[in-house]
Amino acid sequence: MLAIDAAAYRSPWRRHHPAAKALLAGTLLICAVSLPPWPGAPITAAITLAVALGWARVPPGMLLRAARTPVSFALTGSLTFLITISADGIGWAPDGARRMADVVARCVAALLCQLLFASTTPVADALPRLIRVGVPAVLVEVALLIYRMLFVVLDTTRTIRTAQAGRLGHRSISATWRSLGGLGSAVFVRSFDRARRLEVGLAGRGYTGALTVAIKEIPLRTRFLAVAPLPGLLAVVATLTLERG
Amino acid sequence: MPPVHIAEGYLPPLHAVAWTAAAAPFIVHGVIRLGREVRENPEAKLLLGASGAFCFVLSALKIPSVTGSCSHPTGTGLGAILFRPPIMTVLGTITLLFQALLLAHGGLTTLGANAFSMAIVGPWAGYAVYRACRGFGLLPAVFAGAFVADLTTYCVTSVQLALAFPDQESGFAGALAKFGGIFAVTQIPLAISEGLLTVLVVRLLRSSAAEDLLRLGVLRQKDVATKEQVPA
Repeated sequence: MLAIDAAAYRSPWRRHHPAAKALLAGTLLICAVSLPPWPGAPITAAITLAVALGWARVPPGMLLRAARTPVSFALTGSLTFLITISADGIGWAPDGARRMADVVARCVAALLCQLLFASTTPVADALPRLIRVGVPAVLVEVALLIYRMLFVVLDTTRTIRTAQAGRLGHRSISATWRSLGGLGSAVFVRSFDRARRLEVGLAGRGYTGALTVAIKEIPLRTRFLAVAPLPGLLAVVATLTLERG
Repeated sequence: MPPVHIAEGYLPPLHAVAWTAAAAPFIVHGVIRLGREVRENPEAKLLLGASGAFCFVLSALKIPSVTGSCSHPTGTGLGAILFRPPIMTVLGTITLLFQALLLAHGGLTTLGANAFSMAIVGPWAGYAVYRACRGFGLLPAVFAGAFVADLTTYCVTSVQLALAFPDQESGFAGALAKFGGIFAVTQIPLAISEGLLTVLVVRLLRSSAAEDLLRLGVLRQKDVATKEQVPA
């Protein structure tokens, strides 16, 4: 299982409706991307972090590991702001450091909001409810199928990779290439074979094209829904107060 | 170097909305095609599920680059060749959504921009080149399609970033030169690597899953007949 999804299944917030959690994380996300980066982004990031660690009890280690790669991408991508290209050639951009700080701050704040939602809401809880807000049923069903098959295919990939490594399949560049080609084609063949076997099994049980899945009913109109916009509101008030002060 | 997902929050809000609006018609078109396919052929839903899972895993594979580093293929070229661009647009967008939610690669506000480059322009450009080169044989066409799909994805991302962050002195052109220059150093070797990997996968599929390739229209009956006539 993937670490973020595993955390979402274990989250104490799983008992709350996905729409209420989307409202909470969504308002914070809007604050992260639309408030002035300074002081808006650090304030939003701090509030989101406090909500994630203190209230939603998201494991800090998981949060750190999940944020590492996107933050490093934002940092390396933003290095380009430090230089400028003009008719005289390449030089240091006078305002580059501030621009880089703006983008990285906004990225970190927005990423924390995304992780707050993802690590408290399993995809399987959120996806089926999208039909009720007008997303085409066929799209949701295919997305759910992809989600359910994903873990089996990932597991198959890991097993094949381990087998290839055990047969010295990665000892040289040419062997690595051969192994990768074999891995890609084997995963394709096994995925299709599994889908066909699933289809035969479902046909035997009267499959007509509709894959109905039982969804656990979670009450939406609770106290959690009422307080969900408050962290976002707090971020707006704190940012505006600091800006005027 | 990670795959070229624009991270959550990286784009200014107006740009994020504009790219989402630009991607929306293609996604709607893909969903309509998907709905038609599933109505005519209900069991296709399961194969589409398998295809989507395959695309996700493909984009998570690490490939060695000519520059000595490691990266992930975009998988858009192979996906477009196997499943056609409209279906790949839908599968690619779902894959991007799952990568954002399950791996924190890419984002929700940048989903439109990422879908536009990786699930729309990349697959369509790669598929067009694949069809144009099909007369030269399956494997050269597959290489060209995968190479172009990968490279186009990075070019569109460069344009998206240059539009969002124009250079302070030289504007859009200077920013495009900066982002394009960085991507050219790292991504041309990676596009070659992805082309080679895709050829290896399709070559193995030709011998192990010829029936699937026939059904998907990648192989033609005469290709299989010609191959069977070759003495062992």
